[in-house]
Amino acid sequence: MSEKSDSDWNWDFYEELVDDVEANKNIIQCISCGKCVGDCPASKVSNFNVRKVISKVLRGDKSVLRDSDIWYCYLCERCKRVCPKENINIPLLIINLRNESFKKGYGPKYNDLRKYVEMSERFLKTGVVLDEPLGEKLPPDRVEELNEICNFARIKYVFKASKMNKKSKKNSKKLPQK
Amino acid sequence: MNTTNLTLNLNRIKEQYPENPIEYFRDKTLCLFKACLEKYFPGVRFGIEDLLLDLGLKVITCANQSCCSGTFFQRNLITRAQFGAINERNLSEINQIADILLFSCNGCYNSLLRGREFLNTPEVRTKTQKILNRLKNQGTGKNYSGKYEISENFKLKFLHDLDFFYLIKNTLLNALKYDLKKMKVAVHYGCHYLNLSRDKDTFDEYLRPKTKLEELITLFGGNPVDYQERESCCGWGASQLVIHPKEALKITFDKLKSAENVGADFLVTPCPTCLYTLSKPEYRDKMQKWYGEKLDIPTIHLNELIAILRGCEEERCITLRRKTPRIEEIFERITQ
Repeated sequence: MSEKSDSDWNWDFYEELVDDVEANKNIIQCISCGKCVGDCPASKVSNFNVRKVISKVLRGDKSVLRDSDIWYCYLCERCKRVCPKENINIPLLIINLRNESFKKGYGPKYNDLRKYVEMSERFLKTGVVLDEPLGEKLPPDRVEELNEICNFARIKYVFKASKMNKKSKKNSKKLPQK
Repeated sequence: MNTTNLTLNLNRIKEQYPENPIEYFRDKTLCLFKACLEKYFPGVRFGIEDLLLDLGLKVITCANQSCCSGTFFQRNLITRAQFGAINERNLSEINQIADILLFSCNGCYNSLLRGREFLNTPEVRTKTQKILNRLKNQGTGKNYSGKYEISENFKLKFLHDLDFFYLIKNTLLNALKYDLKKMKVAVHYGCHYLNLSRDKDTFDEYLRPKTKLEELITLFGGNPVDYQERESCCGWGASQLVIHPKEALKITFDKLKSAENVGADFLVTPCPTCLYTLSKPEYRDKMQKWYGEKLDIPTIHLNELIAILRGCEEERCITLRRKTPRIEEIFERITQ
């Protein structure tokens, strides 16, 4: 349990998140009714619990960034629909928390992202996520624009990490070579 | 609610053309937003394309459109501003050549609305415009003015295929050759249709129960069945199926099992991402391994189903698609 005592309580974390994404300010209206949890697909199959996540954020408990729970959210927006309060955008809060978690290095490791390597590569090389789309392809000069847009994005890091991974596989004798 | 004012106002069309809403589209150019998963289910594209052409409407796709990139945004691989810029690029391209943008995928539909919604946040908007300015300076976009500016008022209006079919349902019914022969049909809307607020003008529209799919199935001569997991997620969950397959497939399993329990002959959905999850044989095998039961309920996209009902050649409906258990059976039962 990472329960915090009253003396640990502060608004710093909440304010940081609101600074980053203004819409997060609305989570202060949360009345802990738990409707979001009752209707949540992730809560049925994992420890993901929106009510707990929000209450941790409001208590200033940053352990939520280390927990794996936030990575189980389905982003289905069901919680947003059943929430009795207006404009609490839980999916956006989760994306924001994942972002903070990534920044602190708690996010998924390269291994968790390997399924994204091919998709990222294809998107940056052809503009589509899957091979051989139906119909015409994006002209090369227009694909360039997507590369420009994605400058400094993690999508490029995933791509580079895959190259590094291939190299390290070659160098490692323990791993079977394909 | 809908601060972006991007979706087509269906009520206004119904007022203007109470008898025949299809007339509204007569002088419009309709663009089909290309969804990546149409590669696996070509009938999703052909289904709507062939119908629109048969109805004498002008239908196009946009060569300069990229993927919606929602999958990268939802996995924190691009920022809101980058997502917004990819979105603006697509929107400004399509806005030049079309009046209506049709979506056969809930994911794309949500992405394009969400990208636009982010621009309501001033910091994101500024960053997005900065990125677009870089493109402008690189010269690829010098062909016409305004291409890389964030436009306040697009003439382009968004329309989900399901909403379109429902709007023109009487015309659609006249275009059908077969009916569903009282088959029992489980409907799956998909979360990003069912739970979406971005395309709604009022809370009433947002919260009211969705019944368009059931109504269409009834109209087609089928029997929509109620099942416990009707509103649950397909299990894809913004790539949860890739990241935590065992947990995600439990959700898929429960959904399909619940549809089988009430004796559904097949399940229909307006989203190819849900279809992919619900139909992929590899996932069915894994579910059998993990949850001890083989489920063989066929699953089909609404556009494919309409193509079958219209009597299109099998190749334009389901032949070229990724195999699903017993899918041909549905084709044969309808067309026999």
